[in-house]
Amino acid sequence: MILRRLLHLIPVLLGVTVITFLMMSATPGDPAEIMLAGQNASAEQVASLRHDMGLDQPAAARFVHFIGHALEGDFGQSLFQRRPVVSVIGERLPATIELSVAALVMSLLVAIPLGVLAGVNQHGIVDRLATIGSLLGVSMPGFWFGILLLILFAVRLRWLPVSGEIDFSALPPHVTGLLLIDAMLAGSWRSFVDALRHLVLPAITLSLPMAAVLTAVVRASMQEVLRRPFVSFARAKGVPEWRVLIRHALRNALLPAISVAALETGSLLGGNMIVETVFGWPGLGRLVVESIFQRNYPLVQVAVLLYAVTYVLINLAADLLYMALNPRVRL
Amino acid sequence: MTTRLLALAAAGILLSCSARAADMAIGFTVDAVTLDPGNYRARDTETLLRLMYDGMTTHGPGMKVVPELASRWQQRDSLTYDFTLRKDAKWHDGSAVVADDVVFTFTRLMTPGAINGQTSPRKDLLGPLKSVQKLDENTVRFVLDKPWPVFPTMLTFQEVIPKAFAEKVGAAGLATQENGSGPFRLLEWRRGEQLVLQRVGSGCIDHLIVKILPENASRVAALLAGDVDIVNELPVDSIRQVEANSNTKVAAVNGTRSFFVALNNTKPPFNDVRVRQAANYALNKQLIIDRILRGRATALNGVLSPDTFGFDASLPAYGYDVAKAKALLAAAGHSDGIDVTLDTDGAGKDMAEAVATLLTQAGIRTKVAVGEGTQVRAKWLTKGTREGDMWLSSWGNGSLDPIDIFDPTLHTGGRGNSSGYSNPEVDRLLDAADTETDQEKRLDEYKQAQMLVNRDAPWIFLWLPQDIYGVSARLTGFTPSPDGRLNLQDACVK
Repeated sequence: MILRRLLHLIPVLLGVTVITFLMMSATPGDPAEIMLAGQNASAEQVASLRHDMGLDQPAAARFVHFIGHALEGDFGQSLFQRRPVVSVIGERLPATIELSVAALVMSLLVAIPLGVLAGVNQHGIVDRLATIGSLLGVSMPGFWFGILLLILFAVRLRWLPVSGEIDFSALPPHVTGLLLIDAMLAGSWRSFVDALRHLVLPAITLSLPMAAVLTAVVRASMQEVLRRPFVSFARAKGVPEWRVLIRHALRNALLPAISVAALETGSLLGGNMIVETVFGWPGLGRLVVESIFQRNYPLVQVAVLLYAVTYVLINLAADLLYMALNPRVRL
Repeated sequence: MTTRLLALAAAGILLSCSARAADMAIGFTVDAVTLDPGNYRARDTETLLRLMYDGMTTHGPGMKVVPELASRWQQRDSLTYDFTLRKDAKWHDGSAVVADDVVFTFTRLMTPGAINGQTSPRKDLLGPLKSVQKLDENTVRFVLDKPWPVFPTMLTFQEVIPKAFAEKVGAAGLATQENGSGPFRLLEWRRGEQLVLQRVGSGCIDHLIVKILPENASRVAALLAGDVDIVNELPVDSIRQVEANSNTKVAAVNGTRSFFVALNNTKPPFNDVRVRQAANYALNKQLIIDRILRGRATALNGVLSPDTFGFDASLPAYGYDVAKAKALLAAAGHSDGIDVTLDTDGAGKDMAEAVATLLTQAGIRTKVAVGEGTQVRAKWLTKGTREGDMWLSSWGNGSLDPIDIFDPTLHTGGRGNSSGYSNPEVDRLLDAADTETDQEKRLDEYKQAQMLVNRDAPWIFLWLPQDIYGVSARLTGFTPSPDGRLNLQDACVK
């Protein structure tokens, strides 16, 4: 079953490749002009660069060339960095993974307990605060919230650093590229703390909208489940209240939250760009947006493919989790 | 146990908070696209590479072209230049800089397909350079195809690389590793985050950390928090905040980018010189400079900035004069005014709206059309359709020589001649000045050409903004340079 779902990836990836290629081809703007325009290049230089970039070939030929090489594992050269796309993306990927996972964990750690408390104490103070908090969290632009955190915690209080992933003097030896893990592998407490300090503000900023949505979903779902007959039955049987809440109610209330979390994790990928810009975080989101403005076709193409694969896999993981929590569901 | 862990954590936090006295950091807008000095074209990359690599020449005080890796040069005739290398020049690996390195560098830049089958994007910055030969271990001869008086100036844009290192690591290695001869060597490049550099030889600072901070507010926050000692591209809106902070101050220098509104000289209404002159009189540019640019710009009456060779300070100024503008419009048959559109990209939107409002008040009713940068540029390129009326535009001139701005933007068919301006006398003067080796004559030719352009008013001449930096009060020995270079050899932090 899982294999069948994975096989579905093939038409998805093909579709994404075609659509991305068509959209990039239809977008006005020439990467060679963009690369040289700021420096007032001659027509000959532009022509030479277009040739080097393969842009003097018809779009169909470029597409066939890309697909042919991609199947052999060669995704081409980034037009601006003039290095293999896979290397350029690979360098930025760990930072994005680390930030996204941190934001996801943070969202879940906040949203589940808060949603449960709000659901259980309907119309209570926690419920009201959670509702207002959710509304604010969804409405507040990440860009503005990030700057606010930065001014408070980095400029005024100076508790946390303004930007980057780590202080260079605390850099652990490179193993995975995920700094927290590398710091643990190296047994360096200082590196771990430094990486964590750098991670706090970007992760909070990125997690805010997701935490807000999830809190609202868990709260509503919890309230609904608590009204179900099996909950009353469990209580009537004399099952302790904490057991009713955790074992019976929460387990069911989490089902819609899983679907929403999977969708929201997809939007984390988009939200990364803003957070990475505000906090100078060296991730993939910023690179992709810069590449779109530069019409760096090969890089955007591969990054979109990567996003598509990630999105499909996250949804598959969510379905598997859904199945584990609700055995009636089969893939 | 918990107490111990908390104490350790606190110690860790304090440790990572304390700044090392001899280190300094810069908040910089963009990361380098590559570390290969032959394989890029972005000016910001050049600024960063120049911290690690030297050129044959560079800009000294007052933007005078001075030798850098060279100890001197001699112009044999109008086509031949001999450069002698400094005997003490060393690569960061300790080997000496020799003529073979220079020949290798420039051959790589000039030869089509020399970088893994690709041609250097910097090739045309070398103009008519034909060949480069080694005369002896320390002397190199450059031969041009035709006279090009700015050759030593244009050499300031090229960094020299070591032949042996380049052959060893190849293009892929050069893209991510460094072995230059500049004041700093690379310790670590974390793409998109920071470059960690170490001072070579004696200097006040040990490490220089270039932090990549594309967002203006974050860059300013980093400066105010004491996280960095210099930020580039300080927004004018943040000047007061930086000045009000006792630990920070503002440093500025005239930039090299002239701003103008390109008027479409090829179709009505701006094919009439009176309408173009009216547009120049109609705009109260000093008001914009004072209010929007907070005084951080110099008004221009021509194409050249005051620091450029050949600048003519005596050019007649188009003062703000609505009555005169209306009279000129009426004389051109537009007594009811005209309706026109001003093209701009997103970044220029606010400025374009200010310009449009002021023009409208004087009878040039202007609508602003905001487009995506690439599309707008394509529309106004020389080969473009040129259907628009006006374009809020600019042109950078890093060499501070007219050849790099006057020719492309105002010579007939010039690659940046977006207004479609054409004056055979201006063309003749520019052609003569381009190859004139007598600097006095050259100066005179550019002055004559400026006077003609000022009269013909192909653009609304706008201003030259300053390059503004925020710097920490503890920093000394740093003066901003008009070419955007970060000259930090003598920088010191207390």
